[in-house]
Amino acid sequence: MSPALTLARGRGLASRGGRRAAAGAAFLVLGLVLATLPTFASDYTVLVGYRVLEYAALAQAWNLLAGYGGLVSLGSAAFIGIGSYATAEITIHSGVPLVPAMLGSGAAAAAFAVIVSVPLFRLRGLYFAIGTLTLAEALRIWMVNWNGFGGASGQFLTDTAPGNHEIYYLSLVVLALATALVAGVLRTRLGVGLRAVRDNEDVAQEMGLSTFRTKLWAFALAASVMGAVGGMQAARLSAIEPYGAFNLQWTIDIVNIAIVGGLGTIAGPLAGAAFVIILGELLADYPELHVAITGAILIAVIRFAPRGLWGTLAGAGLPAPLRLLARRRG
Amino acid sequence: MDLPSGHALVTALVTGVLLGGLFAITALGLSLVFGVMRLINLVHGELIVLGAYLAFVLLEHGGIDPLLGLLVIAPALAVVAYPIQRVLLTPLMSKGAEAPLLTTFGLSVIAQNVFILVFSGDTQSLSTSYASDSVDLAGIDVPVVYLISFGLALALSVAAHLVIQRTGIGREIRASAEDAVAAEVMGVNVPRIYAVTYGLGAGCAAVGGVLVGLTFSFTPTTGVTYLLTGFAVVVLGGLGSVKGTLLGGLLLGAIESVGGAFFGDGYRDLIGFLVFLTFLAIRPQGLFGRRPA
Repeated sequence: MSPALTLARGRGLASRGGRRAAAGAAFLVLGLVLATLPTFASDYTVLVGYRVLEYAALAQAWNLLAGYGGLVSLGSAAFIGIGSYATAEITIHSGVPLVPAMLGSGAAAAAFAVIVSVPLFRLRGLYFAIGTLTLAEALRIWMVNWNGFGGASGQFLTDTAPGNHEIYYLSLVVLALATALVAGVLRTRLGVGLRAVRDNEDVAQEMGLSTFRTKLWAFALAASVMGAVGGMQAARLSAIEPYGAFNLQWTIDIVNIAIVGGLGTIAGPLAGAAFVIILGELLADYPELHVAITGAILIAVIRFAPRGLWGTLAGAGLPAPLRLLARRRG
Repeated sequence: MDLPSGHALVTALVTGVLLGGLFAITALGLSLVFGVMRLINLVHGELIVLGAYLAFVLLEHGGIDPLLGLLVIAPALAVVAYPIQRVLLTPLMSKGAEAPLLTTFGLSVIAQNVFILVFSGDTQSLSTSYASDSVDLAGIDVPVVYLISFGLALALSVAAHLVIQRTGIGREIRASAEDAVAAEVMGVNVPRIYAVTYGLGAGCAAVGGVLVGLTFSFTPTTGVTYLLTGFAVVVLGGLGSVKGTLLGGLLLGAIESVGGAFFGDGYRDLIGFLVFLTFLAIRPQGLFGRRPA
């Protein structure tokens, strides 16, 4: 434990201000380490760091939907795939640089979210989950069979792939923006409405909340983050093909990371991504074993630590009365 | 798009309806589990694939015919599945619908990767003497396996209907589905009934898996497709009704087959999914009878 945290603990974390200060200090240290990582770490570490940040951003977007809005979407792969293809098409045909192309990817994925929200939002709870899963699989099959955008074999990007440091900092910025977005949304009326939808959609609607619009905003915002990350991924690989871009594995990894890290907490997605990705590196020779173990951890977390690694650890560090409060998600 | 000829369309329709029997069987377990526990069992597809792999092992190493092997495989899967519901899922049911759903999601992830570790990622199929045979049915070439699927679907549906409507355990299953608390008060061991239902669902999945293996090929990740077609059948046919699941299966088989004749076989699943999504969106609660949770 860092001296700052020990000190804060010594004074007692009972006061909300003290807890905030400790969280702020920890956040600052973390930010500093992440921002300077490429200056002292090996190329390998930087690349692992990139993947952690990338998945943390994806999980943060999903966290907004599932953690704060109760919208368990199993369709993440669709938005990532659309983002990948959008960045590829934009950079190939217009010569626009990567960052504006990623913005275009975010917009394309958000537009798709708006279109499919009309049928999808008629579905609630489990039906929404299975509906989003079906939609993403339908889109994947379409992209594999259709001849457009390079068909099943895909196509290469014309721009040079960004270097290790470049892609690392890009993913750091994406994660910072995604986190700021979610944290910011939670402070607005939208954030309040979203949690109301999660806790009881019928009551929220009767209280005069436009639940459709509330869910739509969250869905589109999450989609735009996923789309932008998809664009970043396409640039990193310097190629797109439908099997990878629309792979169900994206959805699986995001759900694992968000839940293992801690649903409905701001730091959970980063904690989950670090845990799952680093575990994957340790088991790099056994990729199937890694995914299977992650699945087992997911089941154990749901059963024994529903607030995830971060939620449980943060909760354990608090005095008993506050721990009771922390148990309430969001 | 080339318009198929009249004969090709009739062939597609007939084979589609017959193949729909396979869809009905793969959906039956899903329908049962959803109807009784209100649970979307995301590991259902992997149970189907497990059935296919077990039949593959029996066939390759014991020379046992897959249809005969079912007598062992279906009960074996039921025994494997029973504790999943009892130990993992039932304790989570009080914590809302998401916790059990995501637990089955985790199980499906584990199963897929264990399949890859044990059986490799290669495409497999159950090659028997009759798997590639076909018979002439009033001028239409029909694969024998389709006829077997159709016959088994009818038999299994009748059997499931009789078990649920006419037996003591069936009465307890219906009572648990209707009102778990009341059933508990009346002396029904609801957690046990839930686990039995889940086991029955897995047994049905095993039958579906063997037929999938005989009719098509399978890989460790094939399960997702059958999970989704299964769910499409459940939505089309109506929840918790064995007859509805059978009819939904035949209907989806016909839609996919005729659609495939128009747009190409690669689009078959896509067509099924789109019909399913459209149906779900137009009548989200419609044929289910009850409001979704």
